[in-house]
Amino acid sequence: MLKKIQNWFDERIELTELINEFNGERIPRRGGWAYTFGSLLAFLFTVQVTTGIFLLFYYVPYFPMARNATYYIKHHVLLGNILLGIHLWGAFTMIFFLLVHMARVYFSGAYKKPRELQWVAGMVLFSVVVVLGLTGYMLIGNENSWWTINVLTNVAAHTPVIGGFLRIIVRGGTQTSVITMQHIFAVHVWLLPIVVIMFIPIHLFLIRKTGHQGMALEYNKSKLSDDDINKWKHPDATIPFFPDQFYKDMIVALAVFVVIYLLAVVYGAEIGPMYRPLALNFAPEADWYFLANEELLKYFPGHGLIIFSTFLVPSIGFAILFALPFIDRGHDRSPFKRPAATVLGILFLLLLVYLTLIGGEPKAPATV
Amino acid sequence: MTKSSEESPSRRTFMMVVIGLISAIVGVALAVPILGEVLSPLFKKRDIVWTELGKVSDLENIEPLVPKFVPVYFRVKEGWTVNTLPRQVIVVKDITGKLYFFSNQCTHLGCPLHWMPARQKFMCPCHGGMFNVLGKVVGGPPPRPLFVWVHKIENGTVLIQNKFLDNPKERGV
Ligand code: HEM
Ligand code: FES
Repeated sequence: MLKKIQNWFDERIELTELINEFNGERIPRRGGWAYTFGSLLAFLFTVQVTTGIFLLFYYVPYFPMARNATYYIKHHVLLGNILLGIHLWGAFTMIFFLLVHMARVYFSGAYKKPRELQWVAGMVLFSVVVVLGLTGYMLIGNENSWWTINVLTNVAAHTPVIGGFLRIIVRGGTQTSVITMQHIFAVHVWLLPIVVIMFIPIHLFLIRKTGHQGMALEYNKSKLSDDDINKWKHPDATIPFFPDQFYKDMIVALAVFVVIYLLAVVYGAEIGPMYRPLALNFAPEADWYFLANEELLKYFPGHGLIIFSTFLVPSIGFAILFALPFIDRGHDRSPFKRPAATVLGILFLLLLVYLTLIGGEPKAPATV
Repeated sequence: MTKSSEESPSRRTFMMVVIGLISAIVGVALAVPILGEVLSPLFKKRDIVWTELGKVSDLENIEPLVPKFVPVYFRVKEGWTVNTLPRQVIVVKDITGKLYFFSNQCTHLGCPLHWMPARQKFMCPCHGGMFNVLGKVVGGPPPRPLFVWVHKIENGTVLIQNKFLDNPKERGV
């Protein structure tokens, strides 16, 4: 019976061949587990979309109601706490593994010619996913949402020349209002997810086109010199994507999913009190992945310097990261043969961790 | 190094089984909260409240067999808010002086009825249902007479509930 169905499709569109073509991608053999993070991100994104769609069954993006709707999902909808919890912890996990995936790619030099475009497509995904996280935080409609919207739209206003317009456009007016939240909602559930849905296939297509490079240890037997671009297209040994690599991807996906699930069940999503723009003693907090940035904002006081922390440092840092494959054009891939890049990478990660750790402390404590 | 699927068919089978199992686990673990969330309304009790309609003395003064449309506003908890449900009560006095409190929703599929004084009938604008002034079906597809609001009289005041008498399936409201 199944054979018959298969034949029916094969006669018309050669389905089996198509599937085999897709599944048969050759993956470098030795470093399998290090290559699971990309698929993990695709898996996590799918989980986000699935849970997000169903949260929309109850959520309202209207400032005076959003927080209570979220509260309702958590406390009054059957298993709603789990759904909301998965969406929150899934988002955190996704941002964390974005950094892991980028670090893996960075240290193995996998962004170098001919794979520059993978990196650029990846950076688009990175930026979009982080903004998805930030906009999600704003949609809860609690006190942090309110102040985050204010702070970040004010940050946007420091962009030279267009900043003021940008803030008005994002807010849907000159002040933070219900229209602001409607805008953020549209961006969080339509605009950005669609960008991710477009860019994941582009990212994957590019990887298949150039072949998957993996880490330098895949090329130990190669006789070609490191400068030869062909060396990095032919690993010593490969396995098919399906089932060998996919099997590892699935195990990692399950492990991470179990952790997310436990966090969702045990800690759930914190909702916090309704927004009160009048509150006298509220100290707004950013989500953990934004604390490093938050910390940065404390170091540049005064009229002339603010722009360093709101615009210059982040955007220059971002631009460098975006253009990394065009800046670092050396031919070596092994992290040991390019110590400068490796050390800089490690320092950057340490700085990120450090800023994140101290970023949680407000410089000037709020009144108690 | 462990064997690849190409070197060992049994290893391939093993991988396939693990992949299948994990897909099933993740699928079910996601489906359960989603189903719970979607089916959640099935387990919710409807909020039922009493609301004042008016003084009996006023209502008793209406003309017999001439329906009077009286609006009520039920304040019910719904989800995360208290909602106002505006509804029409059709008050009719029969020739013995007995009061009826009908819903203005057609019992076919719930459209709002119009009173046609010239024909002494409630006409449904949707599929041609017709009721006489005491709520009996006199034409068209409606399967049963008009719904009657749950009501009671206390201290000379008529109180109405957002619930119909004799309505086991909770149609309308
Ligand atoms: C939603 C986000 C992302 C998804 C779903 C994703 C998916 C993938 C997948 C499935 C792979 C192949 C397997 C692997 O090496 O892990 C991959 C490789 C790669 N990714 Fe991503 N990725 C994402 C974000 C990023 C980001 C943020 C960057 C860097 C800025 C990046 C750069 C790369 C590069 C350069 C490769 C090629 C690695 C090689 O050839 O060895 N990706 N990605
Ligand atoms: S709804 Fe009144 S006749 Fe169909």
